[in-house]
Amino acid sequence: MNTSGKTFKKLLKYTGIYKYLLLLTLILSLVISFLSLYIPMLFGDAIDLISGKDYVDIKGIVSLLIRIMVFAGVTALSQWLMNIINNKISYHLVKDLRNKAFSHIENLPLRYLDKKNTGELLSRVITDSETLSEGLLLGLYSFFTGIITILITLIFMFSKNVPVTVLVVLLTPLSFILARFIAKKTFKMFKRQNELRGIQTAFTEEIVGNQKLVKALGYEENVKERFEAINKDLTDAGLKAVFFSSITNPSTRFVNSVIYAAVAFAGAWMCISGSLTIGGLSVMLYYANQYTKPFNDISSVVTEFQNSLAASARIFELLEQEPEKETGNEELPYCTGDVEIDKVSFSYDKSKPLIKDLHLKASPGDRIAIVGPTGCGKTTIINLLMRFYDPDAGTIRMDGKDIYSCSRSSLRKNYGMVLQDIWIRNATVRDNITLGRDDIKDENILEAAKAARSYDLIKRLPLGLDTVLTENSLSQGENQLLCITRVMVLRPPLLILDEATSNIDTMTEKKIREAFLKLMEGRTSFIVAHRLSTITDSDLILVMKDGSIIEQGTHKELLAKNGFYRELYLSQF
Amino acid sequence: MRFLWKYLSKFKKEVALAPALKMLEALFDLFVPLLVATIIDNGIEKSNMSYVLKMSLVLILLAAVGLAISITAQYFAAKASVLFASDLRKRLFFRIQDLSYAKLDKTGTDTLMTRMSSDVNQVQSGLNLALRLLLRSPFIVFGSMIMAFFIDWETALIFAAAILVLSFIIFGIMRITSPLYKNVQRKLDKMLSRVRENLTGVRVIRAFRKEAQEEKLFYKENITYTDAQKKAGYFSSLLNPLTFVVINLATVFLIYTGALKVSSGALSKGSVVALYNYMAQILIELIKLANLIVSITKALASCDRIADILEEKDEPATLNTSAVGNKEGISFDNVSFTYENAGAPSLKNIDFTLKPGEDLGVIGGTGSGKTTFINLLQGLYTCSEGNISVSGADPVDISSGERKRLFGLAPQKSVLFSGTVRSNMQILDEDASDKEILSSLKTSMALDFVEEKGGLDAVVEQGGRNFSGGQRQRLSIARALTGKNRILILDDATSALDFRTEKLLREGLFKSKGYKTLISVSQRVSGVMGCQKILVLDNGRQAGFGSHEELMASCHVYRDIYYAQFPENEELGRSEAFV
Repeated sequence: MNTSGKTFKKLLKYTGIYKYLLLLTLILSLVISFLSLYIPMLFGDAIDLISGKDYVDIKGIVSLLIRIMVFAGVTALSQWLMNIINNKISYHLVKDLRNKAFSHIENLPLRYLDKKNTGELLSRVITDSETLSEGLLLGLYSFFTGIITILITLIFMFSKNVPVTVLVVLLTPLSFILARFIAKKTFKMFKRQNELRGIQTAFTEEIVGNQKLVKALGYEENVKERFEAINKDLTDAGLKAVFFSSITNPSTRFVNSVIYAAVAFAGAWMCISGSLTIGGLSVMLYYANQYTKPFNDISSVVTEFQNSLAASARIFELLEQEPEKETGNEELPYCTGDVEIDKVSFSYDKSKPLIKDLHLKASPGDRIAIVGPTGCGKTTIINLLMRFYDPDAGTIRMDGKDIYSCSRSSLRKNYGMVLQDIWIRNATVRDNITLGRDDIKDENILEAAKAARSYDLIKRLPLGLDTVLTENSLSQGENQLLCITRVMVLRPPLLILDEATSNIDTMTEKKIREAFLKLMEGRTSFIVAHRLSTITDSDLILVMKDGSIIEQGTHKELLAKNGFYRELYLSQF
Repeated sequence: MRFLWKYLSKFKKEVALAPALKMLEALFDLFVPLLVATIIDNGIEKSNMSYVLKMSLVLILLAAVGLAISITAQYFAAKASVLFASDLRKRLFFRIQDLSYAKLDKTGTDTLMTRMSSDVNQVQSGLNLALRLLLRSPFIVFGSMIMAFFIDWETALIFAAAILVLSFIIFGIMRITSPLYKNVQRKLDKMLSRVRENLTGVRVIRAFRKEAQEEKLFYKENITYTDAQKKAGYFSSLLNPLTFVVINLATVFLIYTGALKVSSGALSKGSVVALYNYMAQILIELIKLANLIVSITKALASCDRIADILEEKDEPATLNTSAVGNKEGISFDNVSFTYENAGAPSLKNIDFTLKPGEDLGVIGGTGSGKTTFINLLQGLYTCSEGNISVSGADPVDISSGERKRLFGLAPQKSVLFSGTVRSNMQILDEDASDKEILSSLKTSMALDFVEEKGGLDAVVEQGGRNFSGGQRQRLSIARALTGKNRILILDDATSALDFRTEKLLREGLFKSKGYKTLISVSQRVSGVMGCQKILVLDNGRQAGFGSHEELMASCHVYRDIYYAQFPENEELGRSEAFV
């Protein structure tokens, strides 16, 4: 089966949930099609009752007209209902897909997400699902009414004249074959268009997302040029896709005109040979015209539908990415803080091993600092401890329990983490601290804020905890204070501070360290730092270089060793 | 709407040709019944089979001509709509590039993104449909009405009344749904922002185990969005049924008055049939139009949102080369700055002069206004009070190209752009040679890892995420250094570096002297001590200005910072004799 067929099949699986609504819409379109073909017939009957001056059956006409009004009312009501149901199906289908895509992203491994462009993923979840909804809405409507109109017209036609109807039925596949041929050719063009759209979205995301920096660097003219190049490609691809797909409608209409001509020819021949009346021919021509119209409508939405399919193919590609699997289901209880990294090896890129045979043991309450030059693998250890990535070999144990036999969630519950990359969302200060947990009381938040020294900052904001923040409303340092408050509220048994104070000035950092010290009492903590002055009182300092631990000990021991650490330490002054 | 014409006029030819050709095609359609009539009259009645064949072939020929015209029309419609949309996208993107910092603060990134993608696509498909169908419908509707007036003006009044009522319905529904569709797009903005936050904050969300809750929040926003769509849909769904009812009522009325008139001898039966046919014609066209109206309304709503950005009066600074460069030095004359909607000023009464050849250190705690100071210095915000002069010009007047020549910024949050290391290094100076780039990479201690990644052609992924934080900072400094004679601004640009690397970097920087003036912003005394002049900021106020020694003697804020950062220095000095 070809790819678009497969995509369509997958789409149908999602539509299955709405089968009762689909059935209802089917019935409604049956009613609508029948009545809208029947009403003209009644009008015809009414006109037949007007024979000439003084020969008009007013009574009969009025009774027919009343029936017409009732039927028109019923048709309109059914139409309205059907529109609403179709809306419901297509909107909800897309909503479901979008929900699914989002949930899926929440469960995809970081190994996948770290490699993907934010903009590209955004375009899949948002734009592609929109395109899908547009095409589906039009498609559903035209498809159902089209098919039913065709069936009803066929019934009328067969009742009038069999040979001509057979001729029409035999010629009809021409129209389908043509539409299919064009659809097949254009599917690739739509795919290309959507790919380029994705590239453009990713580029826009990158530039507009860093718009201030772009301005400060005077990079505008250059990015304009680059944008134009992408835009040009997209325009070319878009023009091809839109134009070639819009050929479908005129082409099928042409085939239909040929069918119309064939009916005229065959009908005329039958008239001459006496097997059809002229009245019969005009009725057949009328129906032949009626019969081909829905084909036009269907073929005109085929393009929209193609576009939808191309978009849904991209969504399915995301949905079919392997989610992160749990390696074990056990629940890791709150642990005492005994952590053992046992012969762990890891690499982001298999050809470049980064961490080799790492061994480390932390006892409850230990403060472990990891230091070393930039790029030596400090953050990788954090990635492994938090299970953002899993190692290639070796294991990590907490309280003697293999963490890979437990759920990720129960492991992460044990850690409080503050990262160098500050993450503040577009929400209130309260939401940014509690991350949406509403069982945390304001007094607890403010208490934690006092400890994390963000209390004054919060008090200074116009609406306090209710102030809505955006990425740029506070300075980096102020944002970091809020991130620290986040952990302060939770008080987990283990702490991870990955360069957590690098954006905070020394005066504030001193205060935060006091708070952290209090928090760290009895808790095992891992501190990644490049400012050695902040970690001199750690229980254990690991000095890393090129993925291995080359020295370890306390500050005093390491200084006495006269090695790499001492060199690092002295270079600060 | 006016806005639409303004940008559409560029594609006048296509915009005019597409519907004109479509109307021509419609005219061809009208010939078909005439041909059938001649087949009946001349072919069947006279049993002339060769005439029937000839006319049937003419029918096919007519269809072929129609096909050619129609495909040409489709081509122009596709061309106009695709080019128009791409032109809009380009204008939007260019416009965004020219927005000032203040405007960017006000607008926000996510909504700009939706406007660039979803809104523009909406306009494209709306225009494409409109060009193909929009003119055809009124052409046939009004044409039919005019024909009706020729037959019998009294009954034709029914046509006029029906068209009037229908116009009310169509425009009424457009009026109601237009704000609803705008609301749909707004909800889309919000959803976009939610997904983006989740992608950028994926580590935090997982660390705090908020995946399930984030899903719930997203579902909620998704439902709000779907509800907004449905609400707009309820009204749009009315259009088709209402049209159907109105036309059928009008037809009923038509037949009734027609019957009475025929009965009294005022009208022939044939005329009634003709009038009925015209009414049926109108119904078919209007049903098509009704389907179109939804797309058009959506497109117009999106058009408004695009216009909001494009029509924003926010002129970028014009190039004023003569003003820049004939004087040297930097001065702030009693400068204050308050962000829009902020309660208190972020900088207050900053007043100092930096002579040519002097380097400036800026020190202060978190939130003291250091980055605001840097933004004002580069003319990215307009100061609320006072005057700033950089090389003799008000920085606000400096054009983007000139800014690039004058300043080299290494920001707090170091971001690289997708491309190669070379393309990143050439951002400020497009003509920078490999030699120059390599030398600035060396100065910023980035040469080793760049070579390891494959040299100047090494690929840089979006945001530079294939480099570590410290590597990004060093590349960001190298970027600011490439090209000569700049005011080099290091805005806390070494925070991710370990002390050893930072120290080596600073030494190399001072030695290379690849800049005109150095402005070093830091929270650490070690980051500003080497500068001739230091500006001390404390909660937006100027707490001191002078050399390190002067400030140690006179400025208590500076002294406090110094002692907070160097207590170990003295201890170490005592315990380790050789320091």
